Amino acid sequence: AAAGLCPCRVLLARRGGALRALGGSVRGLAAGPETHFGFQTVTEAERREKIYQVFESVAEKYDIMNDSMTLGIHRVWKDILVHKMNPSPGTLLLDVAGGTGDIAFRFINYVRSVRERQLQQKLRHHQNLSWQEISESYQEDKSNSLGDSQVVVCDINREMLRVGKQKAQHLGYCEGLSWVLGNAEELPFDDDKFDVYTIAFGIRNVTRIDLALQEAYRVLKPGGRFLCLEFSHVSNPLLSRLYDLYSFQVIPVLGEVIAGDWKSYQYLVESIRRFPPQEELKAMIEDAGFVKVDYENLNLGIVAIHSGFKL
Amino acid sequence: VRCQLSPPQRPLQASAVLRVSDGQKEPWAASSQQQLDSHPADHHPEREPQGPRPSYTGQGGQESEDYESEEQLQHRILTAALEFVPEHGWTAEAIAEGAKTLGLSVAAAGMFHSDGSELILHFVSQCNTKLSELLEQEQKLVQLGEAEKKPTDQFLRDAVETRLRMLIPYIDKWPQALSILLLPHNIPNSLSLLTSMIDDIWHYAGDQSTDFNWYTRRAVLTGIYNTTELVMMQDSSPDFEDTWRFLENRVADAMNMGNTASQVQSTGEALVQGLMGAAVTVSKAETSRAAR
Repeated sequence: AAAGLCPCRVLLARRGGALRALGGSVRGLAAGPETHFGFQTVTEAERREKIYQVFESVAEKYDIMNDSMTLGIHRVWKDILVHKMNPSPGTLLLDVAGGTGDIAFRFINYVRSVRERQLQQKLRHHQNLSWQEISESYQEDKSNSLGDSQVVVCDINREMLRVGKQKAQHLGYCEGLSWVLGNAEELPFDDDKFDVYTIAFGIRNVTRIDLALQEAYRVLKPGGRFLCLEFSHVSNPLLSRLYDLYSFQVIPVLGEVIAGDWKSYQYLVESIRRFPPQEELKAMIEDAGFVKVDYENLNLGIVAIHSGFKL
Repeated sequence: VRCQLSPPQRPLQASAVLRVSDGQKEPWAASSQQQLDSHPADHHPEREPQGPRPSYTGQGGQESEDYESEEQLQHRILTAALEFVPEHGWTAEAIAEGAKTLGLSVAAAGMFHSDGSELILHFVSQCNTKLSELLEQEQKLVQLGEAEKKPTDQFLRDAVETRLRMLIPYIDKWPQALSILLLPHNIPNSLSLLTSMIDDIWHYAGDQSTDFNWYTRRAVLTGIYNTTELVMMQDSSPDFEDTWRFLENRVADAMNMGNTASQVQSTGEALVQGLMGAAVTVSKAETSRAAR
């Protein structure tokens, strides 16, 4: 694993100030330039195509694979993300690369419980209303159990969205949810629309991360928050060895056994190694214009939550 | 076209943005609100949320007229949030409502701790500042000869009463605030705010002690302030009369304590001297008897 990392990384993913600026102007929006797909070197267009195929093939088994690879811990990570967000009713969330809807469902649950608590508090203060007024307030609150909160799930992959919609129906989530097909590098939304932008385990698969960050900045309202949950760099040497061992020996095997797809999971593990570490991603987020950028390591750096504000 | 003028390692953004015409929407550089150039030295560029502004082109180093630092924006949000405290308590919800009134998204409340500590600390420091200003004005009046200098106990009573009266609009939720201020991660801040306020009051009361009295005076006044605050929490008399009477008694006690302390000291000295004299007398009597 270590052998594959260094040379390619220096060439492609590593930023050195001038080099990056130069690279940015040279690349433009054409398909030409080289980038990485796992440990391979491909063009940008090829990379997009390959990633699309990866997720098309894993879509059905995506959730099961997540559970088996992370031993269910990914649920805790996603819960922590939504708790950190601490959304209040009335929040408009854009969940990018949100495919199967995990973050969206958690968001809805959280907002619902906050709303219930709010209503209970309101009722406690309304001790001396007439019966009619009380029953009226019950009715209006019942029809507004989410408090006008909404979540838009955006994903580039049709299959993932399809699986997500199925899941939503199956679990009974109907209101406050919409599904949009879109590319994180070029979002189909207007400026200054959303309160919170999240991207959970998705930014790794974006070919031009800087474009995605700039789009995130664009669609957020002033005061809006950017949250990114992603696999990151483990600095503890012992854990790092165990983690590497687990990643490269166990996960592709699980992929073959459970999903019948060794290559996709090999790609997954390699893409984690290629992704910039915490400080670098923090700098990229700041470059996009966000302020008060910070990150929180979960599980000693296996996963990190980056947060920034548009002010 | 977006040029980066500083190496990406710098957390600041010193970039110039040219205005893009409204019809086009380039996928990565357009924005209907303009970005302000930042001063490369210290502050981050901020956006005023209301309406579009004239764009500033050119090299870094130009500032617009009313850019503000993150801290100032945070202060504004917290000040705006105070009016929602009676309804929502000292919580992130109040901060979110405050942010909304400034035209920011409710997600801006995520900048602060979710238990509302910053809001309370902000409020306390605001009250302390107001108190200092009032005391200074009073001092000026006394210096100009337009007002009488109050005796110490009256001064202390008035200062504490003025400060506690600032809590009245939020009195319902103040117990919650007190408990949050006692959380371990808040204690350094809340303690330092408290001690500096007490110090201020004594300073304007004319305390110039340089010995141990400095500590005793502040400790005593801190005790008076805290106990009066607690009494105020569960006081239901009209205009908190009981609280002010309690305050009066405590201040009087404190003054008496000073006298009592010196009395005890002199009594103690007298006692010791008497005992010493008795001991000397007895020992002399012994020696003279032994010598006989």
